[in-house]
Amino acid sequence: MNFVLIFLITIFSLSLFFYGRSKTKSIAIEKNIKLNALPKFYGYYLVLWCSIPSLVFLLIWSLFEPVIIKSIIIETAANQGAIFNDKNEANLIYEKIKAIHLGTYFGDIDSILRESALAYAKFINLFTNSKVVLIFAIVIVSVIYSLKKINKNNKARDDVEIILKGLLFVSSLIAILTTLGIIFSLLFESIKFFSVINIFDYLFGTNWSPQRAFVRDASSITAAEFEELKDAFGFIPLIAGTTFIAFIAMLVAVPIGLFSGIYMAEYASLKIRRISKPIIEILAGIPTVVYGFFAALTVGPFFRQIGENFGLTVSSESALAAGLIMGIMIIPYVSSLSDDVINSVPQSLRDGSYAIGATKSETIKKVVIPAALPGIIGSILLAVSRAIGETMIVVMAAGLAANLTINPLESTTTITTQIVMILVGDQEFDSPKTQSAFALGLTLFIATLILNYIAQRAVKKYREKYD
Amino acid sequence: MNNVKIKSKNLNVYYGEKQALFNVNLDLNEKEVTALIGPSGCGKSTFIRCINRMNDVIDICKVSGNIEIDGVEINDKNLDVVSLRERVGMVFQKPNPFPKSIYDNISYGPKIHGKGETKSELDEIVENSLKKAALWEEVKDRLNEPGTGLSGGQQQRLCIARAISVNPEVILMDEPCSALDPIATAKIEELIDELKKTYTIVIVTHSMAQAVRVSQKTGFFHLGKLIEVGKTEKIFKNPDNKMTQDYITGRFG
Repeated sequence: MNFVLIFLITIFSLSLFFYGRSKTKSIAIEKNIKLNALPKFYGYYLVLWCSIPSLVFLLIWSLFEPVIIKSIIIETAANQGAIFNDKNEANLIYEKIKAIHLGTYFGDIDSILRESALAYAKFINLFTNSKVVLIFAIVIVSVIYSLKKINKNNKARDDVEIILKGLLFVSSLIAILTTLGIIFSLLFESIKFFSVINIFDYLFGTNWSPQRAFVRDASSITAAEFEELKDAFGFIPLIAGTTFIAFIAMLVAVPIGLFSGIYMAEYASLKIRRISKPIIEILAGIPTVVYGFFAALTVGPFFRQIGENFGLTVSSESALAAGLIMGIMIIPYVSSLSDDVINSVPQSLRDGSYAIGATKSETIKKVVIPAALPGIIGSILLAVSRAIGETMIVVMAAGLAANLTINPLESTTTITTQIVMILVGDQEFDSPKTQSAFALGLTLFIATLILNYIAQRAVKKYREKYD
Repeated sequence: MNNVKIKSKNLNVYYGEKQALFNVNLDLNEKEVTALIGPSGCGKSTFIRCINRMNDVIDICKVSGNIEIDGVEINDKNLDVVSLRERVGMVFQKPNPFPKSIYDNISYGPKIHGKGETKSELDEIVENSLKKAALWEEVKDRLNEPGTGLSGGQQQRLCIARAISVNPEVILMDEPCSALDPIATAKIEELIDELKKTYTIVIVTHSMAQAVRVSQKTGFFHLGKLIEVGKTEKIFKNPDNKMTQDYITGRFG
C-alpha cells in the first residue's frame, strides 16, 4: 500500500512539474508580465509542495501506526479477559493476534484471541483507509495552495532555494543525530555496566574473564557474586593486547609504507607510478577477513614451524602473526597518505636544496621529510587508529585468551576480539557480560576519537603552512 | 672589460617536443651583473637553469650544445653536479626558505659540502653569509626562529645568504624581486651591487628599470632566441635590433 502511495505521489508530482512550467509561461504571455523566476522554478515549486508534505506525513504515520494499533489491541484483549502479567507477555499475545490475522498461527485459538484478531483486522483496515484519505487530502490542499501562489507570480525561485536548503539541512541533521544516537546508546549501556562494576575495577583490573558473569541478571546480584564479578572485568590485558598488536603492526607498516610512499613520490617515474600505485592500493581493497584467514591459516602455522626449528614454543595464534598481517593491511594507508603529503611539499623547496648542491637523498632526508613531517605523523596516527579498531584479523589470528604478556609468540587478545566474543551467540541483554561489550566499545571509541583528532589537527596544521 | 666567466656555445634546450632555446651563444663576464630580459616564456630562465644544470631535475628536458665555466665544459654527463652547484648558486623567483630555523637554513649548504666542521666555524659561516646578505642586523637575535616567519624581502635575502653560504663563484637570480614590494626590491638591488664585487651574477628580470639599475651587460631573449646582447647602456639607449627597441620601449611583451 505504501509503495503504491509513494508511486502515485511521485507520478503526480512529476506531471505537476510540466503543468506548472507551461502554466506560468501562459500566464506570463496572457497578462503580459515579467515572471519573478524562470518557468521551471514554478514547476519545481509545485513538485516540492506536492511531494514533501504528503511524504513526510506518510513517514510519520508509518512510524506511529504500529505502536498505536498495538496499544489498542492489547487493551481490547485485556478488556475481553486476556491475562498477562508483564510487558513481555502482552507482547507475546499481540504477536499471536497478528499471526492469526496473517494466517500463520498454528496453536490453539481461544475465543479471546479470535475476537482480538477480528478487532485487529478491523483496525488495520480503518487505519489504512484513513491514511489514504488523509494523504489525498494533504496532496490536494498543498497543490491548491501552491497553485494559488504561482498564479500570483510569487518568488518561486527564492522559495525553491529555501526548501532545497531545508532538505540538505535535514540530511545532515540525520547523519549527526545517528552519530549521537550511537554514542548515547553506547553511553547508556556502559553506565548500566558501570553501575554493577566499579569503573576503577574495570580500568585498572588485570584479569579479564567475562564468562564468570554468564547468565546473571544484573539487578539480582548477591554480595558473593559481586565479589566474584569484581575482578572479572579488568581492562588492562585487553588494552595491553590491543596496543601490543597495533605496535607490531606499526613496526611493519610505518617503515615499509613510508619508504614506499617516498619512492612513489620522489623516485618513481610516471610510468612506474601509474602501474604500482594501484597495485599497492589493491592491498587496501582486500577484505580484512581474507587477511584474517591468511594470518590464521598460513602465517600463524608458518611462524609455529619456524619457532619449532629454533626450539621455541610458538602459539599457533600469536600476536606476531596477527600484528604482521595487520601491518601489511595498513601499508597502503601509510604509503598513499604519506605519498600525498610528500607530493604537496612545494617543488620550490626541493629546487632550493638541489641548487645548493644537495643530492636527491639529502634533499629528501633534510628538507622534504622534515617539511612533510606533521602530515606524515598524522597519517601514521590515522593508521594506528585503524589498527586499534581492526577486528577480523585479530579475531581469527590473535587468540581469545586475555593473557597479559609481551611475548609476541604467545596468543593475546584485543578489545575488538572480546567485543565479538561477547556478542556472538545468544545474549542476555541485562547481564554484565553483555553490557561489558558496550563499555569496551565506548573505550575503543574514545581512544580512536582522540587519535583521529590529534591526527587531523596535525594534518591541518601542515596544510596551512603551505596553502 | 672583465674576463669571460661563463661561455655558452650553440646551446639548445628541448622540453619534450618543444624547443625552448635556439643556438644561444652568450658570454658572461666575471664579477659583473648580466641582466637577461624578454617577454615571459622566452627562455631566459631556461638559460640560467642550464648554468647550474637545474634542468636535470625536469625529466623531459634535454640540453645540447656547450656551456663552459672557466673554460671547463659543464654540460657533460660525467660532470659532478654537486660540486658544480657548489660553485654556482641560485636564488629563485619566490623566496623558498626551508621550514627550518634561520640558522639551519644557512648552515644547510656548508654541512652538505663538509664545510664548517665545528660549531664555531659554522657560526662564523652563518654570520658572514647573513652579513653579506645584509640581513644579520635584523635576525641576529632570532637565529633559532623559523625562516618562514620572516617577511618576504627578508626571506629573499635569507635565500641569497643561503646561496652565499657555500662560497660560490656565480650566483644566478631568477626574477628575485618579482614577489617583493618596492622597498624590499631596493634593498635587494643594493645588495646585488655589493655582491658583484665578489661574485659573477646573472639576473633574470621583467623590470627594465631594474636591469638598467643593477646590470652592466644585458641580453634580450625572444621566443627562445638571443636577439641582442651588449652593454646595458647601449641596449637601453641605442639598441641595434628593432625588436629590442620595441620591447624596451614597451611596444610589446
